Amino acid sequence: MSSAAPSIPAAATRPIGGEDPIWNAFRAELQKLGAQLTIRLLALACVACPFAFAAVLKVQSGTPNDALFGVYAHSSGYALSLVLLTFAGNWGLPVIAGLIGGDLFAAEDRHGTWKTILTRSCTRIDVFVAKLLAAAALAVGLTLLLALASLLAGVLLIGANSMVDLSGVTTSSGQMLLLTVLSWLLCLLPTLAYTSIAILFSIASRNGIVGVLGPLFVALVTQLLFLIGNGVIVHLLLPGSAYLGWHGLFTAHRFLGPLVISSLVSVAWIVGCVWASLAILRRRDFLASAERRGPGWRTPVKAVAATAALVAALALLSDVGPSAVTEHRLSAAIGEEFNRLTLRQQELIGRQVPAGAKLDVLPTCNRRAAKAEGPGDWTCSLNVYLPQAHAVPFSATSVEYDVSVDAGGCFKASSPPSFIGGPTMVDAAGETVTNPLYVVYGCFNTL
Amino acid sequence: MYAVRAGGLTKRFATTTAVDGVDLAVAPGEVRGLLGPNGAGKTTLLRMLFGLVAPDAGSVELLGRPAADPGGEALRDVGGFVEEPAFYPYLSGAANLSLLARLDGGPSAAAVTEALTRVGLDGRGGDRVAGYSTGMKQRLGLAAALLRSPRLLLLDEPTSGLDPGGTQAVTALVRELAADGVAILLSSHQIGELERVCDTYTVMRRGRVVWDGSATELICAAPASAYALATSDDEAALRIAAEHPGVRAGRARRGGLALALEADRLDGFVLALGDARVAVRRLDLLASPLETMFFALTADDAAVDRLEPEELAETVLAAS
Repeated sequence: MSSAAPSIPAAATRPIGGEDPIWNAFRAELQKLGAQLTIRLLALACVACPFAFAAVLKVQSGTPNDALFGVYAHSSGYALSLVLLTFAGNWGLPVIAGLIGGDLFAAEDRHGTWKTILTRSCTRIDVFVAKLLAAAALAVGLTLLLALASLLAGVLLIGANSMVDLSGVTTSSGQMLLLTVLSWLLCLLPTLAYTSIAILFSIASRNGIVGVLGPLFVALVTQLLFLIGNGVIVHLLLPGSAYLGWHGLFTAHRFLGPLVISSLVSVAWIVGCVWASLAILRRRDFLASAERRGPGWRTPVKAVAATAALVAALALLSDVGPSAVTEHRLSAAIGEEFNRLTLRQQELIGRQVPAGAKLDVLPTCNRRAAKAEGPGDWTCSLNVYLPQAHAVPFSATSVEYDVSVDAGGCFKASSPPSFIGGPTMVDAAGETVTNPLYVVYGCFNTL
Repeated sequence: MYAVRAGGLTKRFATTTAVDGVDLAVAPGEVRGLLGPNGAGKTTLLRMLFGLVAPDAGSVELLGRPAADPGGEALRDVGGFVEEPAFYPYLSGAANLSLLARLDGGPSAAAVTEALTRVGLDGRGGDRVAGYSTGMKQRLGLAAALLRSPRLLLLDEPTSGLDPGGTQAVTALVRELAADGVAILLSSHQIGELERVCDTYTVMRRGRVVWDGSATELICAAPASAYALATSDDEAALRIAAEHPGVRAGRARRGGLALALEADRLDGFVLALGDARVAVRRLDLLASPLETMFFALTADDAAVDRLEPEELAETVLAAS
């Protein structure tokens, strides 16, 4: 063996690896993400969609009544932000998480660039941590951007007006702002959980499409399980349950149990997915494309079979545990709220309502042709006993509400306008305002 | 101290042993050619040196540092690429280099420009890599390796996809770096290119090292080389060849003769043609000693000595 030079030349003086390698890799990841058209379009959508939504609402009379606070979308900008938050929790934020995390690792496989970045000054753990931090930073950034845009769109185009909360209590503009901001912040944890799921899909499948669609599939399964099961246990273990936690902040008697548990569940999802992703990446050999996989169809078939089995098992278990929605909880919540909203309606039309006034309301809730528990369609009769001059004893006026209850304990109640009036009414000042009794939104503690 | 020292490197995939107990050493300033047919285990060996694949057995030391924890510190001052260089297609060549420099902790626009200039991409650095040809990506791969001011270069088919000018430039660059003391391990199928730059060779076949030594040793051990010969009297030339031991000659299909002989017998044969007043009008090397040696070492049925000269040339060239 010849040796043209007796010793290895001295190292270059350039600061190779001079800074923290994770920080170096993190900045490189941000550079890559910032250059991608998908990410730019996503950021643009986060800003543009709330404004487009607000603009459409502004020029039409309809309201998104099915979403919590939807009936107030014309009267308070905070309602618009919260409607968007509901939609984002169901679909928007899982999509954002999928687009960010789902292709982050798989893109290196698609471009064949693992070998390029892993032969520099960073270990694969450095690169993993940097990608994780970049995905988290972007997921948080885009969620906050969406939150800010929805608030600005609501406040600028609709107005920073006070609003009725989920117990029928009128809440000031300042408090609504605080609660709305807090609600968006609470959605960061489940968004990070979905981002971790996307990363796991991305690393395990090495396929960007699976990575991007994976979280969306999980969100879809979550929505289906919310629809079919009565038990509270499986619902709380789903990664999307934390998107419902903010509801407890908008009630007169705040309940934080579901929020705390679902947030801890989000943390567990994050830890589990990150651990599994790191384990896969550490064990991986970065081979030539032809050597990467064995027979092409076996792994996807196994994955699909395992997923189907898991979803079926969750569906079977979704009734396990105490029921989240019971007749007692629903009746108590809707009765108390109806009471407050009726008095609120009286105030709006200019009648004097003494402090601490209370109607005598007897609520009774039942399900049509089904056991009186669990999410779905309910009917509630609210017997209101009004003191009338010539009636002994008091006469009862019955109001029937069709109530749609979700697994998180939130409901939307609507009734024909014969007793409660139309969607809007004219207040004492002659202004057209939202009729608080037309659609009643409420939430109760499911624990 | 060796720039690369690998001992007993082994890697198995399911039932296949891709690399089987390979020992390898590259000294500073040495250019070592890594030769072998497809599936010999060259790329897997390079991937193990880079830490992209974990060996099942054996050890690796790069620039005196054990590569127990691949990547990062173990690859400090090590540059190169394995298989065709890969980059982010949505970034420009310069942005890709800047990103890689950032991974190394030293983003420097001047260093990026210098590396691009050195590989002849200075006018195209701003173009997106998606529009680069294979040769341009190859050049960018070299630029990415040079950006690290490496003391050890591991290069897999560095001239693949390059035009003749680009190939010459890479060859010159490799010699220049070696003269500066950079150790270079160069894997290639293009034996002709390796012949110009390598001081030593490691030949692999089916995951094992079948030959290891200097270029001089290899040429001495090489079996017959193949030549195309055109003379003023081919019949006489055939008779003279038959009288010379170690020289095999036959008629070529496209006219003229094909010769197979060891290099040290060539002079004697040509002088004998001259003595017999047979003029040599053309004498072309068809298969070099390195090419025939490579064929002899790596072919399943290495019947170099039994092949007809033209067949030898065709077979060797096809195999290499």
